[in-house]
Amino acid sequence: MGYPYSHEKEVPILSKYFGDPEARTLDGWEAREGYQALKKALDMDPEEVVEAVKASGLRGRGGAGFPTGLKWSFMPKAKDKPHYLLCNADESEPGTFKDRELMRWVPHQLIEGCLIGAHAMGAEHVYIYCRGEFFEATQVLAKAVEDAYEAGVIGDDVMGSGRKIDVTVFAGAGAYICGEETGLMNSLEGRRGEPRVKPPFPAAVGAFGMPTTINNVETLAAIPHIVANGGEWYRQWGSEKSPGTKLFCVSGHVRRPGNYELPLGFPLKDLIYDVCGGMIEDRALKAVIPGGSSVPILSAEEAEGCALCYEGVIEAGSMLGCASVIVMDETTDIVHQVMRMASFYAHESCGQCTPCREGTAWVTTILKRIEDGRGTEEDLDTLVEVTEQMTGTTICVLSDSVAAPVQSSIAKFRDEYLALIRRGERVGAA
Amino acid sequence: MTEIPFKNPGWAGNVGEYDLTEEQVRGIDFVGVRPLEGGHPAGSSTYPYMMEDKDPEAPLFEGPYEERLEKILTRYPTKRAALLPVLNLAQEVRGHVSPQTMDRVGEILELSSAYVRGVATFYTMYNKRPVGRHLVQVCTNISCNLCGAEDVLKAFLAHTNTEMGATSLDGAFTVMEAECLAGCGFPTCVQINSRYYENLTVEEVPRLVAHLRAQDAGAARSTGPEDEG
Repeated sequence: MGYPYSHEKEVPILSKYFGDPEARTLDGWEAREGYQALKKALDMDPEEVVEAVKASGLRGRGGAGFPTGLKWSFMPKAKDKPHYLLCNADESEPGTFKDRELMRWVPHQLIEGCLIGAHAMGAEHVYIYCRGEFFEATQVLAKAVEDAYEAGVIGDDVMGSGRKIDVTVFAGAGAYICGEETGLMNSLEGRRGEPRVKPPFPAAVGAFGMPTTINNVETLAAIPHIVANGGEWYRQWGSEKSPGTKLFCVSGHVRRPGNYELPLGFPLKDLIYDVCGGMIEDRALKAVIPGGSSVPILSAEEAEGCALCYEGVIEAGSMLGCASVIVMDETTDIVHQVMRMASFYAHESCGQCTPCREGTAWVTTILKRIEDGRGTEEDLDTLVEVTEQMTGTTICVLSDSVAAPVQSSIAKFRDEYLALIRRGERVGAA
Repeated sequence: MTEIPFKNPGWAGNVGEYDLTEEQVRGIDFVGVRPLEGGHPAGSSTYPYMMEDKDPEAPLFEGPYEERLEKILTRYPTKRAALLPVLNLAQEVRGHVSPQTMDRVGEILELSSAYVRGVATFYTMYNKRPVGRHLVQVCTNISCNLCGAEDVLKAFLAHTNTEMGATSLDGAFTVMEAECLAGCGFPTCVQINSRYYENLTVEEVPRLVAHLRAQDAGAARSTGPEDEG
């Protein structure tokens, strides 16, 4: 069920108990068939669990869309050193607000997914890295973990299976870059959250130098359902390449923004006009960012033909990312919004790589200059050139994330930039 | 604005229910108040509260906080890994992380002062300077921005009579711009100390500020004599 609104076209699996305070307690969760999947998984061989996840075709929900089962299978089988599972709950991609709801409404669903993952990969310790600002969600989760320890669901003998799994809730301290997997590992180890060079990949050398797998909250929350019902069951929704359901976070100029759980492949047009009740005051659609601020902007025409699955959004010219749909209407000042996004990345750049540290700052400066009416047409070429040099040249993809909105907005809304540069005309200006 | 279909125990923005207590906002019936000693070690690394009363001289790692520190240290294979949780704890106690606080944290975790500063300055949630009783962080990132967040920020600055990032003369408010708080569906999203206020509009800002001021006056009345005595 969507939050705060629901819609009949939704397929509520992960979000079934959003808004139901009882589901947050251990008793309430068990009464809703909670921890049955964990029990089932503990009776299975770890390899069987990995195979079930592979069969479901579940793809990572944090943005990259890497197949989860495959990722799990990279973990070494040898038990000569500790293995870790990290849950990435550092939700900070602008436009994304699904993990907070998953943590505060159904914390035990996440814990169950973590425990199944730990069993499948032979991990002894799960760290749930929560965003520092999530005081409320972190408290709910910490309480749920405490209760699970007391009930013997977590601990030295997980549900009487003899398996020892510990779970620790960790709170970050405010840094977007800690959502990057190796940045998160550095942060967990008490370092600056600077991403690491890969290889070595986390499955070989991860947190504390040990084999590590890191999954998003939504990915792990889907695991209990897949284990309980089988991989094939999950494939009844979505497409061949993008099976299952996904939480769509819709924000911006729609009547009913919020989280909606829909099958992958759902038409973006229906999401905006049907599920979200249409545009505020029936204004015209101008642009949509389909996957959080790091992906290319879609024009209204591109958006209206777009299917919301991994391959569908690529076809439309963008990426699904974490399915954070930011909707902009005709009153939107694109130049200002792109400047705001660029200044965000300039603020959050960790500063390790020169193209990113310098590039994000200069892109922001040039965009501000254009906004102030002191820009030239050459500035647009400079922006494209600079962002091209920022793509694929750095340790992580934060730098590429600036390039996406800048380049796509200049390509698709060039007239708007030119109107500002040539005539000082601004959209939405009073 | 469309009516919200059900009541959210954590929801304070839509109808200006500012008088909900912290406990109600956190869902007291389920969460309870997190104990200062950290409860179960699994949850001891969280940073439960940003307090209104901020005493920069408060003793660190004493009483229940010492217990919490011990619990935090049991959860990681290295001492260094406890750095963020311990800095969080220090900020919870003192309201900000001063160079002296960082040195103390470094001593406990056997890390150099320079290293601790390097890490602490990387993260935005560590207040490097003292902040007001109410630390107001207004998200002005894209989703909130589309829905008028910059005007909400201006309204906060005007009604608290402060400049961006500065603390009001009475020590009540520090207003800052924040990056995305992950409340994009509920714009404008504002975090004040540990609490999110969602769906805030420009019109609601003066009411909220007045409410917080009244709360402070009430708190001062009830504890005032002892404080001054």
